[in-house]
Amino acid sequence: MPIYLYIDRGSFVHRLHPTVKVFALFIMFWSVYWVDHPLALLPLGLVIAALVRVTGSWPNFYRLRWLFILIVLTTTLAWMVFYRQGPPLIKLPLIHLSRASLVFGFGRGLKLAELLATSVLFLSTTKVEEFTAGLSRMGVPYRVGFSITLAFRLVPLFIDSAGTVVQAQSLRGYDFNQGGPLERVRRYVPVVIPVFMGALRKANNMAMALEARGFGMSATPTSFIDYPIRPRDIGAFAALIALGIVQFAIYYTGYGAISVK
Amino acid sequence: MKAPLATDHDPAPVGSAAQPAAAALEGVTFTYHGGDRPALRHVELELRPGQTVGVMGASGAGKSTLAKCLNRIVPGFEGGEFSGVVRIGGRALDGDRVCAVAPKVGMVFQDFESQLFSTNVAHEVAFAMEQVGMAREEIAARIGPALHAVGLAGFEDRDPTSLSGGEKQRLAIAAVLALRPGVIVLDEPTSDLDPEGRAEVFALIRRLREHGLSLTVIEHEAEELRSCDRVVIVREGEIIAEGAPAEVMTRIDLLEQCGVHPPDLNRVLRMLGIEAHAASVDEAEHLIRRQRPGLEREHELRAAPERTNASPATPMVKVQNLSFAYPFGPPALSGVNFEIAAGEFLAIIGQNGSGKTTLAKHIVGLLAPAAGRILLSGRDRTTLRPAETAHEAGYVFQNPDHQIFAATVEDEVAFGPRNFGLPRDEVERRCEEVLRAVNLAEARGRDPFLLSKGERQRLAVASVLALRPRLLILDEPTTGLDYREQRRMMALVGDLNRAGIAIVMITHTPWLVAEYARRVVLMRKGRVLYDGPVREFFERDELLESSSFRAPEVTQLGRRFGITALRPEELANALMEPG
Repeated sequence: MPIYLYIDRGSFVHRLHPTVKVFALFIMFWSVYWVDHPLALLPLGLVIAALVRVTGSWPNFYRLRWLFILIVLTTTLAWMVFYRQGPPLIKLPLIHLSRASLVFGFGRGLKLAELLATSVLFLSTTKVEEFTAGLSRMGVPYRVGFSITLAFRLVPLFIDSAGTVVQAQSLRGYDFNQGGPLERVRRYVPVVIPVFMGALRKANNMAMALEARGFGMSATPTSFIDYPIRPRDIGAFAALIALGIVQFAIYYTGYGAISVK
Repeated sequence: MKAPLATDHDPAPVGSAAQPAAAALEGVTFTYHGGDRPALRHVELELRPGQTVGVMGASGAGKSTLAKCLNRIVPGFEGGEFSGVVRIGGRALDGDRVCAVAPKVGMVFQDFESQLFSTNVAHEVAFAMEQVGMAREEIAARIGPALHAVGLAGFEDRDPTSLSGGEKQRLAIAAVLALRPGVIVLDEPTSDLDPEGRAEVFALIRRLREHGLSLTVIEHEAEELRSCDRVVIVREGEIIAEGAPAEVMTRIDLLEQCGVHPPDLNRVLRMLGIEAHAASVDEAEHLIRRQRPGLEREHELRAAPERTNASPATPMVKVQNLSFAYPFGPPALSGVNFEIAAGEFLAIIGQNGSGKTTLAKHIVGLLAPAAGRILLSGRDRTTLRPAETAHEAGYVFQNPDHQIFAATVEDEVAFGPRNFGLPRDEVERRCEEVLRAVNLAEARGRDPFLLSKGERQRLAVASVLALRPRLLILDEPTTGLDYREQRRMMALVGDLNRAGIAIVMITHTPWLVAEYARRVVLMRKGRVLYDGPVREFFERDELLESSSFRAPEVTQLGRRFGITALRPEELANALMEPG
């Protein structure tokens, strides 16, 4: 099973200039940020779904399907505890179940899911080298940009390692699902320590290997790949700006808000 | 354009005294920060242009520290107290940054996962050239020749994570070659590889040597360093022996004392009273025939029964038509059938990705079959509670650091029994028992993270043994251990087997299979290709060839005389018997 998210396809999203893709990531975050109502978030969700289909990123979304479901459900429930607006539909302990809290909570869950989906889509269609080049083009120092993108490479490795540690401990009879929420968090200590120690060792080995390959010799290394700006990049850039303006307009006109009645 | 394996620091003719050494360590002493003794003491080493020097020694002897001095990782990256001089091409490296040395000294590390950073093979090779600020056209011109040199031409667009271990390590070498350094250092480059990967990398090293590159190769299997110009043995930070392979590799006692696996061919020769060095099976055969003319017979070892503790009448594991696939992946197991009897010692072998670990994980319940079933002592594994499964089969992961977390050795061992709710005195009794079995009773109060790799591996075994499984599965139990630690580990496994525990060992190491296992299961692409006695397996040339699994050299030599021997002693005894 592949560890990393990048899927090598030739879709138009894959072929966009790295800077446009980094900008697209920013615009999607911007667009999601301004609206709260699930109906206002739905068009963005449809755009993401269409891009998932076009780019062939579905296997990554399938792998993370439980994470998406978990995010939407727990966020919806959590906001029903804190967002106590509107007349309750049923009286429940702790949870305030009203139309407004349900819509608000679900909207928040959908927001987080769309942010995650945008990130997964970005990583499914962007090589780390492109990510670094995109950040450099936007003025981020090379070393900072490289470190950020390297982190994206490392996270899946640590998740993979955590999976192995969970298996090793469960074979020794360890039950991760005992007790209440706090106890459950505490019970992950036998996983956190080996993963953390392994991460430290790996990070040290990687830093050593990087320096041994000349990393740090030049503040502005050359790039093996040339990334010219093409007409499609300009088109995509314009479309993204339009999307950002539309989402802000929805917020500004009050259509994206949730009314409490 | 330069030839694919050219260097930007062109060497003089091999061994030319007129030219400065390609690399030299002059009186180097180094102590790591916080270290209580020097990792290197007064080391003097010279690598002449075009030469290959092999460095051998036990874990912790100072081999890697020595290698890291050559590109300033020591003391530039791993700090400490350093004295002496390191010269590359005659120039002292005083004060140079590690990255500034990269164009002169290329380094390939043991952990291939940690030295690949890019999304495709071409980017990986380009990385170091980009870092030193090379022009785009020059980078593009060098990628092809570098990949061609390591046999990866045509792999430009492949994701490095999709390559086999051997291919990854060859890619790491290509990434170093592209900078055309004057010296290349390879620090145990094949430790984590299967036999095919090892063979690929050592064949490449021989090719680099033929092209006149100056190489330093760190290794603890002496057999692999026989083609070097010179070999050195490091012990406790000092070079204690140095010379041509023919001189050093006949000093078998010294090699063993230093945690190095001596060439088994030389051991056989010495047992036969021939004090000589054999660089190959052909040479060993020639030396034996010269001393013992007319030696040619079929030997009864061929038909000798395998030593076994197994009770075939009582299979404790039955795997029936097992099939499995990971999501979006090809079948990882396809219709696997086999049995494990109580008390057996079985080796599962096969290339990376052949399904060995997937099969083992099914037996212990970490994976659920897509089709077929597994019976443990006659009961369907999926119906067993975790404690029942743990009592039937224990699994020791390849990397002990994937499970160690406790503050003391004793707590680490007690973790499993406590989880299963055993009473305190029973937990204590089991800890005492297994810590004695793995020879760690004295270390019970120590922090497990401060143990050596070999000790941590034995601790991992102990923590699984504390659950008293009837079957113990060990995934690559000797990876990363030096010869002495490997022997100690396998002695422990042998003792457990004699005490009645069935052993399944997943391994890539031919001599471990030959000397310890009694039955071999060979897997390829999720299927069992061979299941039978070890000796018979090593007689099946077509199987060995197609599975890229080499018979140990002792076995290869024995077969020249009609004997399928598995151990040096066995072969020597057979050859000494009157015809």
